[in-house]
Amino acid sequence: MDTVLIPLFLGIALGVGLYARAIPQGDRSWWRFAAATVALAIAARLAGHSWPHSWTATLLASAAELVAVGMVWSGGTDAARAAARKYLTAVVLATLCTWAALALTGLGTLRPGAPWDKLAVALLLIGVALKLGLVPVYFWLPAVARASSAMTTALIVAVVDVGAFCELLTLRETAPWIFTGFAPLWIGLAVLSLLGAALLALAQRALKPMLAFSSIDDMGYLLLGLVIGGADGMAGAWFGILGHALGKIVLFGAVGAAEWHLGRAVTLDDRGLSTPLPVASAAFMLGALGFIGIPPTLGFIGHWRLYLAGAELGGPLLLTVLYASSAMALLCYVRVIHRVWLGPAIAGPSVGTGGQPLPRAAAVVLLVFAVAPVLFGLTPNRLRPAIEPHPHVAELTGPLVANPLGGVK
Amino acid sequence: MTSTTLPILLLLGGFVLQLLLARWLTPVGKGVLATAVVFASFLASLTLVPASMAGVAAEAPLLAGWDGPLSIGLRVDGLSVLFMVMGTGIGAAILLFSVRYMEHEEQGTTRFYAIMLIFVAGLLLLAGAADMLGAYVAWEVIGLCSYSLVGFWYKQKAATDGARKVLVITHLAGYGFLVGLVLVYARAGTLAWTDPAVASAFTSGVAALFIVAAMAKSVMFPLHTWIPEAMNAPTPVSALLHSACYVKAGVYLIARMYVVGGGQWHEAMGTPLLAVGCVTILVGVIFAMAQTDLKRLLAFHTVSQLGYIVVGLALGTDLGLAAGLFYCLSHALFKGTLFMCAGAIQHATGTRDLRDLGGLASAMPGTAKVWIIAAASIAGVPLTNGFVAKWLLFSAALDKGLLVVVLVGWIGSILTAFSFLKATVNAFYGVPSKALLGRAVHEASPSMLAGMGSMAGLCLLFGVAPQLLMLPIVAPAVRSLGFDWAVEMSWLGILTDRGTIAVTVGGGVVLASAMLGLLVYRLAQAPAPGLVSVYSGGEPLPAGDRPGAVDFAEMAEIAFHPVYSLDPDPGYLRIWRALTRVAGAAQTAADAVLEDRPLLPIGLVAIAALAGVWLV
Repeated sequence: MDTVLIPLFLGIALGVGLYARAIPQGDRSWWRFAAATVALAIAARLAGHSWPHSWTATLLASAAELVAVGMVWSGGTDAARAAARKYLTAVVLATLCTWAALALTGLGTLRPGAPWDKLAVALLLIGVALKLGLVPVYFWLPAVARASSAMTTALIVAVVDVGAFCELLTLRETAPWIFTGFAPLWIGLAVLSLLGAALLALAQRALKPMLAFSSIDDMGYLLLGLVIGGADGMAGAWFGILGHALGKIVLFGAVGAAEWHLGRAVTLDDRGLSTPLPVASAAFMLGALGFIGIPPTLGFIGHWRLYLAGAELGGPLLLTVLYASSAMALLCYVRVIHRVWLGPAIAGPSVGTGGQPLPRAAAVVLLVFAVAPVLFGLTPNRLRPAIEPHPHVAELTGPLVANPLGGVK
Repeated sequence: MTSTTLPILLLLGGFVLQLLLARWLTPVGKGVLATAVVFASFLASLTLVPASMAGVAAEAPLLAGWDGPLSIGLRVDGLSVLFMVMGTGIGAAILLFSVRYMEHEEQGTTRFYAIMLIFVAGLLLLAGAADMLGAYVAWEVIGLCSYSLVGFWYKQKAATDGARKVLVITHLAGYGFLVGLVLVYARAGTLAWTDPAVASAFTSGVAALFIVAAMAKSVMFPLHTWIPEAMNAPTPVSALLHSACYVKAGVYLIARMYVVGGGQWHEAMGTPLLAVGCVTILVGVIFAMAQTDLKRLLAFHTVSQLGYIVVGLALGTDLGLAAGLFYCLSHALFKGTLFMCAGAIQHATGTRDLRDLGGLASAMPGTAKVWIIAAASIAGVPLTNGFVAKWLLFSAALDKGLLVVVLVGWIGSILTAFSFLKATVNAFYGVPSKALLGRAVHEASPSMLAGMGSMAGLCLLFGVAPQLLMLPIVAPAVRSLGFDWAVEMSWLGILTDRGTIAVTVGGGVVLASAMLGLLVYRLAQAPAPGLVSVYSGGEPLPAGDRPGAVDFAEMAEIAFHPVYSLDPDPGYLRIWRALTRVAGAAQTAADAVLEDRPLLPIGLVAIAALAGVWLV
């Protein structure tokens, strides 16, 4: 997993860096926070790979989340500071909850006795929901999206959240009881997120919060795959999260380019941006298609497996839920593509020739990140993690060991 | 590279060449390159015919080790060859037509030709896919290509609106295919069309999901409403979309389902599909009669004609399948030709509104001849392939004792004839409209005429000698679906086995009636030939004028007026508005409760989580 994630994060860092040099995303403090966020996220992956039983990875990942708050704060506006406060609230609570849960479960290596196991799962549920901004505790993500530059939110969604989700994937392997034993709760959380966020995304008029809700919707999908587990569920979640990371960079990047051109936030009232920004328009369309899960993108490789996992677990009922969410996501993205990007440009000071053109470096970044999911969709095996089980899993195959809380290891 | 994969690889190679050489090629050069590539792919597809005639299904990997244990491979049988030959043959003719049609486009020709090549390649992959997952990937690739091509002029609202509708309706229904294959995989662990495990997992519910997806692609009522809106695409796109590469995808899927468990789905779903096909025949043609836009008129006829094809497939007999598949090929030929003629007219006159046309036969004699052949074919006039297709279909329905189907098909044919009489008269005969006065109307270029003329010629060839198509293409396709069908057919499509007497006598009666009508017409002092009034869009004809073809159409419009309320679009719009209202209400509630007071949802989740873990 880390052999894919670390290059991915490095690629995202490079792409975002180039993009931010061409289209400024913040002042010097933003650069420091952004660099530190990515560096800490990468360090967390390296630590998790090298010392699987230590707290180092968890601490580094939490540090990345806290530094990301600084990235939002560096926006300098009242709205940015308010969003940063909300995000900080979520990060602190999520960190406390997950740390407590991990402490109770020995970083996922043991199952404590009752009632500690139940408490650990409840804390983990709360922590995960807050970290990933799932419905109904999503309050920080749309606020961050509204108040921050496009790439700030993109980094949070594509690096910090993806890192957190991959930690969860690891936990799914090492401590499957957390998910299988309490599956209805996890599935409920996932279904609430994928339906609720899809509905709320439809209600947005501004594009950045719409993309934020779309992220929450997608996280619901991925969580469902993770909880269901098995080869299909885990592979679906894995490919899905990779597509999520790449797609969000493209989508937020394209919207950021439109903001740069217009000099203000992009809403559904804007028209015909493909005329002045053809590359950003094409990138947004490709990113959206990947996000919806249309073949041959990487999004499809993940999504069809998540459908499969849904069918295996919940049969036609869960499939209907997934269909409803997919349909709403499609309607949402198609509406944006056809109202904001395609069609005739409305004459005005902000659209057409008056705005700033897309810098070449930003265009290249958008194109690379837009085409990558298609290429990986044609060769998904290149992204498949190594077959060997995680070191935690290997150790769990040994004899059971008593633990201080009365459970077994 | 094997001969099995060659047709697809040629197209993919052409796609890469289009991108690589874009900087150096003129629009005409790009068109010539695309035409040559698709023609080469057509020839490569023809090399697969002998094996399919021998009943051999050629297998070859296309993307080995694609996704874990899954790969994308081909299994090319008779049905695959039929669609591959159709897609590449019609595609080559349409791209030849495009060379001059698109030469004046200032930008986007690389995009146009590159996507056209992938469009055709997508159909070939769909037709040849060894399993459902490969077919679904191709299904969506075709969908994306059509979306991009319909929205080719993406700065025009009408074009992008059309593209949006194509994507939304076909993709939402297309999830049926995805959900169906997921259910099959969950039960069978495999997706190969011919795997017995798949047959046991392929329930009626799965078949229904597949059929819903196919209905949207193949414009079956009530999922047909995207097709008239897709008319704002360049004409070659419309031609390819309507004739070979898009609407036929649904036909393919329905036909392909017959290889699963010996067509077990038909027992439960055959009759509903037959009913949908019959309704579609009538709704399509009745809506077509009310159109004054030539391309919209053709679009609604596509709806109607696809109804005939699906009826043939839904009959579930060898003769029915042969009729449906022959109809599929025939429709590709005559509908592709008609669209190219419409494009040539628009190219020459700047309009496709029948009210602004007239008298074009003198300025565009070649186009007029080609149009008349194709119009005769779609109306089912003898000596054309359309006649043979209908003849076969009626024979198959009679053979099964389904007189209602024959009646519906017959009414549809009559209305089709009226509709095309109206279109033909108003476009090519009479005096030119005021809108055309002073405009130098020119004949289509030689390459455009060659593209559409070649297809019109095939309409006649396969009308006179349908066995040329039946023996090498249609019969192997029917046999590949598990039906042991021997072609017993002579010239003009006259069957020499079962159903012969009934149909031949019926045909004789019709012919005698027509001759008698002509005799009465002559004896009743028929007026001397003169100018025919141009269709006025509904206004009364001048006093003293005789009723003509236009009036028949107008009478039909009045008679069938209630049918026009069957438009499902207002229903879709109501669903969309309800959904956005619900979303708005959810947002209002969420703003007040979840976003502005974060501690409240956190508290709620904490309580729910703590309560939940103790309850689970």
